[in-house]
Amino acid sequence: MSALAQTFRRFFGEERDALVLGLLRIAISALLFFNGLRLVIEFYRSGFFADYFYLPMLPEAWLPSRSGYELLLGLQALAALCALLGFWPREGLLGASCLGLYFLGCDRLQYHNNRYALLLLGFLLAFTPCDRALLLVRGRSHTLPREQRLAPTFARRLFQIQVSLVYLGSTLGKLFDADWRGGQVLFMRYAEAPANCAAHGFPLPAWLIAILTAPWFASLAAKAAISSELFIALGIWLPKTRRLALWLGVLFHISIEITSKVELFSWLMVASYLAFVVPEVRERRFQFAPGNRRAELLARLVALCDWCARFERSPLSPTEQGSAAFYVTNRAGQRASGALGLAQLAEAIPLFFPLWLPLALYAKLSAKPRTPCASCA
Amino acid sequence: MPRSLLNLSPRLRPVFFCAYLLVQLGLLLRAQRTPDLVFGFQMFNASSHLKISLFRKVRQRGRVRVVPVRDGAWQTKDRSGVRHTFRWQDRVRDVNLNTLDQFVHAAYGLDAQLFRLPFALRYFMRHLPGDEETEALIAEVDTRTNGRETGHVRLQADRP
Repeated sequence: MSALAQTFRRFFGEERDALVLGLLRIAISALLFFNGLRLVIEFYRSGFFADYFYLPMLPEAWLPSRSGYELLLGLQALAALCALLGFWPREGLLGASCLGLYFLGCDRLQYHNNRYALLLLGFLLAFTPCDRALLLVRGRSHTLPREQRLAPTFARRLFQIQVSLVYLGSTLGKLFDADWRGGQVLFMRYAEAPANCAAHGFPLPAWLIAILTAPWFASLAAKAAISSELFIALGIWLPKTRRLALWLGVLFHISIEITSKVELFSWLMVASYLAFVVPEVRERRFQFAPGNRRAELLARLVALCDWCARFERSPLSPTEQGSAAFYVTNRAGQRASGALGLAQLAEAIPLFFPLWLPLALYAKLSAKPRTPCASCA
Repeated sequence: MPRSLLNLSPRLRPVFFCAYLLVQLGLLLRAQRTPDLVFGFQMFNASSHLKISLFRKVRQRGRVRVVPVRDGAWQTKDRSGVRHTFRWQDRVRDVNLNTLDQFVHAAYGLDAQLFRLPFALRYFMRHLPGDEETEALIAEVDTRTNGRETGHVRLQADRP
């Protein structure tokens, strides 16, 4: 068999642990549910979309009646809820996302990139084995044993490609636009920021206004935004740069969430990063000194927040106990404690991931330089 | 082991994979040629603004006049003398298009809003029961592209 055929077979036949896909399903279906809920609220508050100016992308004959639309809205919310709880989860994801795409087709004015991206990612996730873990309706036995979680995950690759396409579409549009590249678009947005902040009761200090309204700052920010998006789009594919790209992405979306109204976009993109997590579980080790209050507290925190099941937790045996309260061993087998150990924890725990780079840098800078021992010379 | 119809057979997987990618790439490329960049993932693509001012072309005593529409509303009498009030905002809910006589941010760029506005005008003209006077609706649009270039566009929708 040729190498190409082998690669082909490996790509489409790849079987990996599906536990993290279960977590991804919960995140995406929750977002789909909120998206559906927004449509339901809009329907009851503002009325049927076709009673006002609307712009269909589909033929008029395909559009639903008022009662039909109401029914479909209910079905979409129900399907998303089923996916969330783990009752026919993949079918639920498929149903909710297809109905959402149909609604977008009914009215172009409803189109927003974040909604479209959510629906596409929900659609793709339905083709992954995301129904083998975290099935909340099954109570305590919500996750299948490891051997039953192994399943073909080729659709996870499509999901990853789709995430990249979202960033690539966005960044290439900006890159080819001279106004964007030069900072003029951001300059206009920043120029409005002081008045917007003051209107919301947060007047900005004069020095910050001076920076925000400076053309050089907008130009710099534009270049930083374009290169960040490009780095995220491509960097997530390379094992060496993936962690940094994801970290940059998390910070990028936190800053967008704070400064702009983007509906569920930031949440969606951060959740989609779970697709880039190595599927295999318990490949890292967290050991803590029993009896040490701080170490036990940290162990409890790890147990609570280790949603991707990265760590095998165990108390240190009396013979292993040294000066450190805890040790973290990463996938490469590097054992660390202190700030570096915390950095290794943060890199694998979603909630603490934004702290990874600061902790890693702090650990690197505060590490004592290894000077050769004079007596050993 | 959970069974699902969505478990694609090994033969179907490459077909699904390629079909999905082709459709996505096709939509991404097509989006570059659509005025509102729909399916193109182009977030925050512009900081442009537009100001829409509405006018009505009316025929009164045999003469055609263009009268401004104040706050998006006007009143007319039908043939039986019953007075009707028409409001632009009652029919057009989109924030970019229903704010009149003041500059607003043009979401997805000026081209997107200038593409949608003629449809909105035509839609409104189709929903004027009892207005015997209005022959056409005119939108005078002032534009500012990314805070620099200014422009003016005139759009008109006649009574169908």
